[in-house]
Amino acid sequence: MATNVQSIVPDAASAASLPKQPSQAAERWRAFCRRRAALVALVILAAIVLACIAAPWLSPYDPYAGNVKERLLPVGSAGHLLGTDEQGRDLLTRILYGGRLSLLSGIVPVMIAVILGGGLGIIAGYFKGIVNTLIMRTLDILFSFPAILLAIGISASLGPGISNIIISATIVFIPPIARIAETAVKEVKKEEYIEAALSSGAGTGLIIRFHVVNNIFSRLFVYSTTQIGICLMLASGLSFLGLGVSPPTPEWGFMLNNLKQVIFIDPIVTIVPGIFIFITSLALNIVSDALSDVLDSKG
Amino acid sequence: MVAFISKRLLLFIPTLFGVSVIVFLMLQMVPGDPVNTIVPADATEEERMRVTRELGLDKPIYVQFIFWLIHMFQGDMGTSIIKRLPVSELLLPAVGNTLLLAAASAVVSFGLGLAIGVYSAYRPKSWAASLFNVLGLAGIGMPNFWAALILIGIFSVSLGWLPSSGMQSIGGGGLLDTFRHLILPTIAASLTTLGVMTRMVRSTIAGLLQQDFVFALQAKGAPAGKVLRHVLKNGMPTILTVAGLQFGYLIGGSVLVETVFAWPGIGQLIYQAIGQRDFPIVQSGVLVVAVAFVLINLAVDSLHAVLDPRVRHS
Repeated sequence: MATNVQSIVPDAASAASLPKQPSQAAERWRAFCRRRAALVALVILAAIVLACIAAPWLSPYDPYAGNVKERLLPVGSAGHLLGTDEQGRDLLTRILYGGRLSLLSGIVPVMIAVILGGGLGIIAGYFKGIVNTLIMRTLDILFSFPAILLAIGISASLGPGISNIIISATIVFIPPIARIAETAVKEVKKEEYIEAALSSGAGTGLIIRFHVVNNIFSRLFVYSTTQIGICLMLASGLSFLGLGVSPPTPEWGFMLNNLKQVIFIDPIVTIVPGIFIFITSLALNIVSDALSDVLDSKG
Repeated sequence: MVAFISKRLLLFIPTLFGVSVIVFLMLQMVPGDPVNTIVPADATEEERMRVTRELGLDKPIYVQFIFWLIHMFQGDMGTSIIKRLPVSELLLPAVGNTLLLAAASAVVSFGLGLAIGVYSAYRPKSWAASLFNVLGLAGIGMPNFWAALILIGIFSVSLGWLPSSGMQSIGGGGLLDTFRHLILPTIAASLTTLGVMTRMVRSTIAGLLQQDFVFALQAKGAPAGKVLRHVLKNGMPTILTVAGLQFGYLIGGSVLVETVFAWPGIGQLIYQAIGQRDFPIVQSGVLVVAVAFVLINLAVDSLHAVLDPRVRHS
C-alpha cells in the first residue's frame, strides 16, 4: 500500500527536500491584504464585533434605563455621541448591545445552514438517483419563494422571537447552500482520487468524510461568507417588522422600527441604527468578494 | 421551442403543489388552537366543537389540505379573522398596488442599470465607473427599509417636497398625486436591484467586448452604435434572465418598503395581518406572491429560450 501511494504521488518525496516555501495560507493572506478596500472592511468589521462584545466596558450607560429629561437628544450631544432615543436611552450604548443579537442573527443561520444544507447537498450529490431527486426537488420548492417572504411567512407562523428569526433565516439559506454543495460534490465525484479510493476498498463514510468534505469545503466556505451580509439584512428586516425581539431589548432592526415613530421630530437620530446595519453588511460584502477572489482562483 | 416550454410547464405543476404544501404547513406551525381566536373566551365545549367542525379542523390534516387547496382553486381564500371580509376582496386591490410599485421600480432600476452598466463596461478605468461600482455595492448592502427612512427624512421631513406615506392625499387626488406618492417608495425599492443590475450588466458587456466578433466589427469599420447593438443583442438573454428574477424579488421584497411608506400593497397587508395574527391573510398573501414569483420564473425561462436557441437544446 505504501509503495502504491509513492507511485501515485511521485513528487511527495522530492517536494519535502525542496527549500521551504511560504504556505498556501500565507500566500492567500498576502493576496487578500493587497486588496486595500477588503483590508479596511475587515478592520471595520473586527472593530464593530469587538465593540459589541465589549459594550459593558465601553459604555457607562445602562441600555435599558431611560431618562425622561434626555429624550431624543440630537447626534453629537455632550455625553451622548449618537444622541438618545425616544425614551432618553443612550443610542450608541443600545447600538453596541443591540449589535450582539444583530450580528448573531446574521451569522448563526448561515452556520447552521452550512451544516444542514451542506450535509443534504453532499448526500444528494454523492448518492444521485432517487435520493438526489427527493432532496433537491424538495429544496427547489423552498427556493421558489422570494427569500424575505419565506422568512416572513415562517417567522409570522412561529411567532416573534430572535430564535424564531434564526430558524426561519436558516430555512431560507439551506436550499442555496445545498445546491452549491451538490454541484461541487458531483464534480469531485468525477475525480480520479475518488475512483482510486473506491477501488482500494474505502467505505462510503470514509470517502465522504475524507475526500468529499475536504475538497468542497473551501467553495462552501466562500459562498457562505457571501451570504452572511444578506442574512444580516434579512434578519434585521424581520426584526424591523416586529418579528424579532420584544421591547426593551435592543436590536438594530427593531430599534429602527421604534425610532421610525419619531422621524418627524428628529430624522437624523431615526436613521442612526441603520448606519450600523449598512456598514456591517457592506463590509461583509467587500470582505467576502475579496475572499472569493483569493480562495476561488485555483492557481 | 414548444417542447422546451411544455416541459417547463409540466415542472411548474409540482412546484406549485409544493409551494402550496409549504404555505399550508406554515399555518399549521402557528402555536395555539385557531379555534381560540374565533370563539369567545367563555365559550362552552359544544360551541368550540361546532366551530372546530365548521372549520374542518376535526378532519385529518391531509383532508384539511385538500379542502384548502380546492377552496384556493375556486378563488375562495377564506375570511379575514379581524376584518371579517373575504380575503380575496382584500388581496386583489393590494396586488394591483404592489404590481404598480414593482413595475415602477423595475423601469427605474433596469433602465438605469443598463445605462450605467454599459457605460462602466466601455470606460472601466474612468472615475465615474469606479464611483458607480462603489455605489452599486452600497445599493446591494443597503437595507431597503433603512433607505426608505432616509428618503422620508430628507424629502418629506426636511425638504417637505414629497409625501411620506400612502398612495393618495386625503380627499383623493389625480394621477399626478399618485405619481408624487410613488416616487420615494420606487427609489427605496429599486436600490438593491439597481446595484445588482449595474454590476451584472457591466460584467456581461465587458466580457462580450473582448470577443472576436467585436474586433471583427471594429476592423470592418462599423460605427460604435452598430457594435453596441450587436453586443447588446448577445448580452440580452443573460441580462433579461437576471432582470426577470429581480422583478420577482421586487414583488417579494416590497413588504418592507410598503410597510415604511404605508403603501397599500400586499406587503403592507401581510405586515398588518401579522400584527393582528390574522393568518388567512398572511397565508393567502404569501401564496399569491410565491405563485407570482414561480410564474415570473417560468416566463423568464421561456423568454430566455425564445431569445437564445442554445438554451433550448442544452
